[in-house]
Amino acid sequence: MPAAYPLPENISPAVVSNTASLLRIIALGLISAAAIASRLFAVVNFESIIHEFDPWFNYRATRVLASQGFYAFWNWFDPTAWYPLGRVVGGTIYPGLMATSGVIYNILHAVNLPVDIRNVCVLLAPGFSALTAWATYMFTRELKDDSAGLLAAAFIGIVPGYISRSVAGSYDNEAIAIFLLMFTFFCWIKALKQGSAFFGAVAAVFYFYMVAAWGGYVFITNMIPLHALVLLLMGRYSSRLYVAYSTWYSIGTLASMQVPFVGFQPVRTSEHMAALGVFGLLQIVAFAQLVRSHISSKQFQELLLASVVATGILGFSAIVALTYKGWIAPWTGRFYSLWDTGYAKKYIPIIASVSEHQPTAWPSFFMDLHFLIFLFPAGVVLCFRSLRDEHIFVIIYAVMASYFAGVMVRLMLALTPVVCVASAVALSSLLDAYLDASKPDATEPDESSTQATSTNGSNGASRSASSTASSPTVNPKKARKNKEKEPPAVPGRALGELVSEVASSAAAAVHGSDEPNSKGIFGLDTRLAVLVNTIGMLLFFVVHCTWVTSNAYSSPSVVLASQMQDGSQHIIDDFREAYYWLRQNTAEDAVVMSWWDYGYQIAGMADRPTLVDNNTWNNTHIATVGKAMSSPEEVAYPILRKHDVSYVLIIFGGLIGYSGDDLNKFLWMVRIAQGVWPDEIQEPNYFNKGEYRVDAQASPTMRESLMYKMSYYRFAELFGGQQPVDRVRGQNMPMNGPKLDYVGKWDVSHESRSCLILLMITEEAFTSENWIVRIYAVKGDDILGRDHKTAQGFSEGKKRKRSKPVSRRKNIGIGSV
Amino acid sequence: MNILACLLSLLLIPLSLAANPHDELVQLAKAGNGVIRLDERVFDLLTAPKRNWSASVHFTALNPQRKCTPCKEFDPSFKAVAKAWSTVPKVHRDTHFFATAEFDDTIKVFQKLQLNSAPLVHVYPATEGPNAKSSANPFKFDFSNGFEAGPLAEQLSIHTPIPIPYSAPIDWSKFGTFISLIPIVTLIFRFIRPVIHNRWVWAAGTILVSLIMTSGFMFTRIRGMPFVGNDGNWIAAGYQNQFGQEVQIVSMIYGILAASFLMLTIITPYQKSASRQRTQIYFCTFVNFLVFSILISLFRIKNRGYPFKLLF
Repeated sequence: MPAAYPLPENISPAVVSNTASLLRIIALGLISAAAIASRLFAVVNFESIIHEFDPWFNYRATRVLASQGFYAFWNWFDPTAWYPLGRVVGGTIYPGLMATSGVIYNILHAVNLPVDIRNVCVLLAPGFSALTAWATYMFTRELKDDSAGLLAAAFIGIVPGYISRSVAGSYDNEAIAIFLLMFTFFCWIKALKQGSAFFGAVAAVFYFYMVAAWGGYVFITNMIPLHALVLLLMGRYSSRLYVAYSTWYSIGTLASMQVPFVGFQPVRTSEHMAALGVFGLLQIVAFAQLVRSHISSKQFQELLLASVVATGILGFSAIVALTYKGWIAPWTGRFYSLWDTGYAKKYIPIIASVSEHQPTAWPSFFMDLHFLIFLFPAGVVLCFRSLRDEHIFVIIYAVMASYFAGVMVRLMLALTPVVCVASAVALSSLLDAYLDASKPDATEPDESSTQATSTNGSNGASRSASSTASSPTVNPKKARKNKEKEPPAVPGRALGELVSEVASSAAAAVHGSDEPNSKGIFGLDTRLAVLVNTIGMLLFFVVHCTWVTSNAYSSPSVVLASQMQDGSQHIIDDFREAYYWLRQNTAEDAVVMSWWDYGYQIAGMADRPTLVDNNTWNNTHIATVGKAMSSPEEVAYPILRKHDVSYVLIIFGGLIGYSGDDLNKFLWMVRIAQGVWPDEIQEPNYFNKGEYRVDAQASPTMRESLMYKMSYYRFAELFGGQQPVDRVRGQNMPMNGPKLDYVGKWDVSHESRSCLILLMITEEAFTSENWIVRIYAVKGDDILGRDHKTAQGFSEGKKRKRSKPVSRRKNIGIGSV
Repeated sequence: MNILACLLSLLLIPLSLAANPHDELVQLAKAGNGVIRLDERVFDLLTAPKRNWSASVHFTALNPQRKCTPCKEFDPSFKAVAKAWSTVPKVHRDTHFFATAEFDDTIKVFQKLQLNSAPLVHVYPATEGPNAKSSANPFKFDFSNGFEAGPLAEQLSIHTPIPIPYSAPIDWSKFGTFISLIPIVTLIFRFIRPVIHNRWVWAAGTILVSLIMTSGFMFTRIRGMPFVGNDGNWIAAGYQNQFGQEVQIVSMIYGILAASFLMLTIITPYQKSASRQRTQIYFCTFVNFLVFSILISLFRIKNRGYPFKLLF
C-alpha cells in the first residue's frame, strides 16, 4: 500500500498505545494549564479581587459559610438586604458554589495550607475550567475518538465564550455549572450507550449538584427528556434508553427536591413537566414492548400501539388541564420570555432591563467563538452522517442552544460547549483525512483506465485485511515497505478501539452504497495546503482568544483600567474608594439607597444595609427605588424617610465617559416604576420629542427628577466657566447646572452657589475622584419642623454666613467617625 | 346612524341641562354606543375640575381631508374597548366614560391642550368620590405597543374602577384555515413521508436554523431592526448592533466556510482522480482562506479595536 510520507518502522503496538496514552495525558495536562493560565489575566493585570456584582454576594455568603460553618450559613437570615424586609438567604440561593469553596477551604486548612477564603473564591472558576476541559474531552470521546476529544478540550479551555464567565475572580454559579453540565451530559450519554444504571445514577448525582449550583439546571431537565422523546419518535426505543432515563429521572428528581430553593418545583411547575411526561411515556412504551414480546397477534399489536398513543395524549392533556387549573405553575417569566421574546419587556421590565438578557448580535458570536462558529455546522453535518443516539443528542443541543444564545447574550454560555464539541468533531475528521499516511493507489484516468481495486480503509479494522489483497498490485519495493509499515499504523489508529469500531460499523451501515475503502488523499502538497490553512486558523484562534481574554473579559468592573497617553495603564478605583468611604464614615446601620445593580457590592464592600440588590425578588421594592429616583424631590423625600434611607448612592460617568452609569439605566428605573405606579410615573414625560436629552433641552420632568439633579449637581462648576460636556451622552450641559434645593454641603466651607441645581432633601456627602460614584446624605427633619424648601429659602434669603440647620441624622454620621 | 343618535342627543341637551352633568354624560354615552362624541362644551363638561368620574378621551382626526392613517387604524380598537366597557354593570359603567374628540369639532380643545398629533388617548382621573386619584393630570396612553385593542384595554384597565372586560374576537378565518389544513396534511402525509424520514432534510433544517440564529436573526427580530439603514448602509455601526441584511450576509459566509470544510472532509477524499482531487483541495482551501479574510474584515468594521487581519 502506498504511503504519502514515510512512517517509522518496527515499533511494537504496545509501545504505540502506551506512547499515545502518555501523550494524551500530557496534552490534557497542558490544556488544563492553558485553561487556568489564560484566566489569570485578571489577577495579573489587576489583583486578586472578586469581580462584578453577583460574585460579591456569593463571596459574602461563602465567608459566612467558612467562618460560621454550614448550619449557620444554611439558616442565615440577612437583615441588611432588602431593608426593611430582610432576606432568608439559606432558602433563596443555590448553595452549590459556596459549599464547593467551603469544602475546598476546609480541605486546604486540614492539610495545613492556610489559604485565605478570598483566594479560594477567586481561583475557583479557573480551577473548574480545567475540569470542564476534561469533561468535554470525555464527552467528545463518546462521539468520535480521543483526538476529537483532545481538540474539544483545547477549544473549551480557551474559547472566550466560556472564559467570559470564568476568569479568576468571576465567582459566580456558572463557574462550576458548565463543568457539571458537561459531566452530566457525558454520564447520560454513557448510560444511554451502555444501558447502565450505574452511569444513570452518576448522571443523577451530578444533576443534583448542578441543581444545587445554578438555576440553569432547567436546561438539563429539558434537554435529556427531549433527547429521549426524539429517540422514541425515531423508533429507537431500547431497554438501554429505559434504564438510563428511568434511573436518571427518579434519582435526579428526588435528589433535586432536597435543595430548599427548588423544593417541590419538579412536580409543580411547567419547566419540569417535560421530564415527568417523558418518564411516564417511557413506562407506557416499555410496558407495551413487554406485552408485544409475549403476544403475536397482529391486531392486538395495532391495538397496543393505538392505546400507547391514546395514553400519551391523555397524559399530555392531563398536564395541560392541571396547568389550566393552577395545580401546575405555568412557565416563569424568565423562561417564558425565551419563547415569547416580547413578553419580558411588556410585563417584567426588570428581567428585560438586565444587559445580559439582551439579544445577541452576530459580532458577539464571532467574538466569543471565532472560527468555531462556522466549523460547528460542519460538525453537526458529520453528526448527521453517523447519527448514533449520542449524535442525535448533540444535534438537538446545537439547535436549542443556538436559538437560546440568539435570544439572550447570557446563554452564549450554554451554546459554547456544544460548539466546541461539534467543531472538534469536524476538525478532527478533517485532520484524520489529511494526516492519514495511506494514499489511494487509484491511477489517473488518463494514464490507465483500470480503476484501482485498492482498499485503503480509513479505519484500522478493515485495513489490515485489505492491505494484503491490495499489495500485489503495487510495485514490490513499495509493498515491502508498506508491509512493515502496516502494523504500527493499526494500533495507532485503534486508540479508541471500541469507539472507532462502533463508528466504522455505523458509518459502513450508513454509507452502504459507498465504497468506504476507496477514500484517501493523493500527494503531499495538497495535504500540506490543507494542514497549513488549518493550523494557521488554529493559531489565529489562539491569538484571538488571548487578545479577547486579556482585553475584554478580564476587567473586574469593580476596578476600571484606562490607557494613559504613554501607553501605561491607569487604574480608576472610584468604586472601592466610595465603598470604603461609606464603610469608614457612616454609621453601621445607615441605610444606603442605590439602584439594584450596586446592592451586592455595597453589602460586600461597604457592609451597609441596602434597599434593593441584585437578587431581584421583590419587584415592588425595586419600583419604589425607581420611583424615588425618577420623582421630584418633594415626592421622593417621604419615600426616602419612610425607608430610613440615610445615604443615596448614584453612579455618574459623565465626567470621564463611563457609559454604564445610572443616567443610562435611568429609563429602566422609570419603566419599572411605571409598572407599579402608572399614573404617577410615565416614560414619555422623560423624553423631549422622543429624544433622551440631558442638556438644556431635557424635559421638565427629567430635570426635576432626583436622579438628574444628583447626577449633575455642581457638575458645571467643574468646568470653570467653560462649556460643560457630558462625555457619555455627548451633550453640552447648560452652564448653570441643576440646583439641589435644600442643600447644605457636607463641607460647609464651600459656599459657591453658582449652579442652578439645588438639592432640597439631600446633601452631597462624597464624590469619588473621577466623579463615578456620588453619595448624598438625606437630610433629617428640619429642626423647626418646616419643610426643606422653606427652610432652604429662609436660610438663603437671610444670609450666607449662617450655616444650615444641622440634621440629626448627620450628627449620627459624624458621631461614628 | 351614530351621527344621528349623536345629533338627537344634542337636541336633547337643553332638556337634560337641568339634570347634573353626570346624568347627561351617561345619556350621551348610551346614545353613542359607549362612546361620547365630544364638542367643546361637552369636553369641558367631561373634564370639569370637580368630577367623580374618570374618562378616556380619544383625540383623533378621522376626516379624510386630514389624511391621518394611524387615526383610522386606531379608531376601531378604541371603539371595541369602549363597547366592551359598556357591558359592565351599571354601577361601574357610569364611573368611567369613553369619549372621542374629532379634530374638526374640537379645534379649540386641541389648541388649548397644545396637541399637534393624533391619535392620542388621555385618561382623566376622577378628582372626587371613591375613585379619586391623587393627581388630576391626565395619563397619556403610550402607543409603543401598537394600535391593537388588547394592549389598550390592558393599560386603560389600570385607571378604570374594574378591569375592562375586553377579549379579542375569535379569528374564525384562522380557525377555519387550521381545521381545513388537518385533512390536507393527512392527505399529503403519505407523499411527504419519505421527506420526513430523510435525515438530510433534517440536517439541512438544523444547519439552516443554527446558521441563522448565530448570525443574529433573533436580534433583528426582537429589536425590530430594519433590513438596511436609512442611508442605504447595510452594516450597522457599532458592535452590539446589526441590520437585517447582515443576517443574510453573515449566515452565507458561515455557510460557505462550513461547506468548504465539509467538502474537504467528506467529498474530496472519495475523489478517484488525483488531478481532480488536487484541484478541489486547492479550490476549497483558497475559498476558505478568502472568505475567512472577508469575514475578519467585516468583523473589523463592527469592532474597530480588533487588531488582527488577514488579506484585507
